[in-house]
Amino acid sequence: MKGIKTRWSPEEADLWTKEDYLTFVISPLIYFLLALGGIWCLLLRWYGWVVLGVSGLLIWLMIKIIDPKLKALSHDYEKKQKQFLEELEKIERWEN
Amino acid sequence: MVNFAWLDWFWLVAFILLMVFCGVLFYQLGKRSLADFFLAGRGLPWWLPAASVYATHSATDTPMWVSGVIYKYGLRGIWYTFFSAWCAISAFASTRIFRRSLAYTQAEWQTLRFSGLGAELLRGWIAGWQVFMNMFVLGWVGMAMGKLGHYLFNWPEWVGLVFFSSLCAIYVLAAGYWGVVMADFQQGIIAFSVIVIVSIWGIVAAGGPQQIIAKINSLGESWRLNPLAFSGWTTGDFPLAWFLTMMIIAIIGGFGMGTSIDWYPEAQRIQSARTVRDASYSIWAGSALIVIRNSLWAVAVLAFFSLYPHLQETAQYEMAWYRLGFEFLPVGLVGFFFAAIVAIHISTISTHLNLGASYATRDLYQHYFRPQASDKELVWVGRGATLILLLGSFLYGLMMKEITQWLIFALWIMTAGIWLPSILQVVWWRFNAWGYLTSWMANLGLSWLVVWVLPEFHLLPVLPDYLQFWIMMILGGMIYLPVTFLTKPEDMDRLVKYYVMSRPLGWWKPVREEAIKRGLLPGEEIRPAGGEL
Repeated sequence: MKGIKTRWSPEEADLWTKEDYLTFVISPLIYFLLALGGIWCLLLRWYGWVVLGVSGLLIWLMIKIIDPKLKALSHDYEKKQKQFLEELEKIERWEN
Repeated sequence: MVNFAWLDWFWLVAFILLMVFCGVLFYQLGKRSLADFFLAGRGLPWWLPAASVYATHSATDTPMWVSGVIYKYGLRGIWYTFFSAWCAISAFASTRIFRRSLAYTQAEWQTLRFSGLGAELLRGWIAGWQVFMNMFVLGWVGMAMGKLGHYLFNWPEWVGLVFFSSLCAIYVLAAGYWGVVMADFQQGIIAFSVIVIVSIWGIVAAGGPQQIIAKINSLGESWRLNPLAFSGWTTGDFPLAWFLTMMIIAIIGGFGMGTSIDWYPEAQRIQSARTVRDASYSIWAGSALIVIRNSLWAVAVLAFFSLYPHLQETAQYEMAWYRLGFEFLPVGLVGFFFAAIVAIHISTISTHLNLGASYATRDLYQHYFRPQASDKELVWVGRGATLILLLGSFLYGLMMKEITQWLIFALWIMTAGIWLPSILQVVWWRFNAWGYLTSWMANLGLSWLVVWVLPEFHLLPVLPDYLQFWIMMILGGMIYLPVTFLTKPEDMDRLVKYYVMSRPLGWWKPVREEAIKRGLLPGEEIRPAGGEL
């Protein structure tokens, strides 16, 4: 997809970028359309199916945009998690 | 009163055994450590916490509440239920930040984000409040089951309250969060299937969609069919200003932590996910299911309205969805329906038993009394706390009739004025523990003044709730913002540590620069274009 980054280094994925902001816009829109589309479909209004179809497309688009980034940052973070957890337990035991 | 055939009893007993067995089965995993008892070892794939999000937020009183707003306001009442949309942004913002902090609870997060006495006071306050709130929710939801048992079988109300919560406690005591999440998974499937079946059955029983629309039009109530039928900008019973306020509260609230009362159970599900990615998808998908569920309920309640359009008493029309099931499902399926209601009920109870116990164990017992306690000891303390919460919920439940109005008010004051500070603590480095603590305290006083005291003395008119929200937000800001600026920023060491671990969104430039200076983060060269956020 043009303009959307799909390969991320862990350091890049840690930053908040336009891919995140796009997701912030698309995600609530999907909920909004799911609520309306669900109602209209059950009332057998034709446009209900259109709205549900659009929300399906938006789900696909959102995953396409954000998933590579989430994968990269998750992968990198999991490597450090053990050390972070040890530090957390030290704080909890008032050792830090 | 409903009469059960033997097949109905079969469904009920079989489902209860299945649910309790499913939970107890994970006893060995639950007792391994504190992280297992409260977070399932932080190793769950996204679809398990997602099912748990969905199951937890489908409680016995939820269809009553949705029935109430849809019957009263028509399809536009769907927006009352749209508060779950806070997860739309949260899934990719605050969820990501919170998961990286690794805090067991929101109270613990306060001591990772803030430092010193202010942070400890906040942690103690939020932990104590959460123990109380979970007990309250258990009593509230338990009593809804008590009332349903009375309506259906003429049982005394305490029977439904005590019996089903106690059944649920068996597997929560045995397996902790492992039991909760595994039982939630199958309860979520049962609940969703039955919601689909009963809602569609109800729509068909009312003559199908065309018949429902025709009937409502013939009653001269066609506005009920339009989810966007506003009564004006600021006038009438459904103004656009209310809708926009609701959207802002729900959607923008996703940038914060604690902007919705539902954040606290979700925080536990976020930490139980195996990766940041799993945490994001679990919260997003669980809430998407809730949105779809609400649409199903809304149309079913509309069908009920077309059958019984003249009910005046809230207590009557709040039972709309339940009545569709009990009046129209055939013998044999009624028991299946009631078993699903039990599933809906105990999935909520189990979550709040375990969640309340996690605050009591991790944030109060371990943090303040026995920091060196072993995992084995903490698991037993967790079980003890679960039992105390269960017994406390019975007391609350039996007191509910008298105190409901006061507690609804308590819920309101606990959320309205801390909405913005709950966002600020996530996105703004300069917001400190004293500012956040002050916002809680200010909110207690302001909400009494704005909602009750000033209108009572005619110093302020009785305002619609959306206006109360904005007024409390502005007045609160006039108190906690000066406090924030008059007190010192948080300790930079703590902020840097928090920043490096959680990588929060928002205005964190001085902290980020300090982290780079200390060599804890790479420099500017890896930053893509796009500004400071």
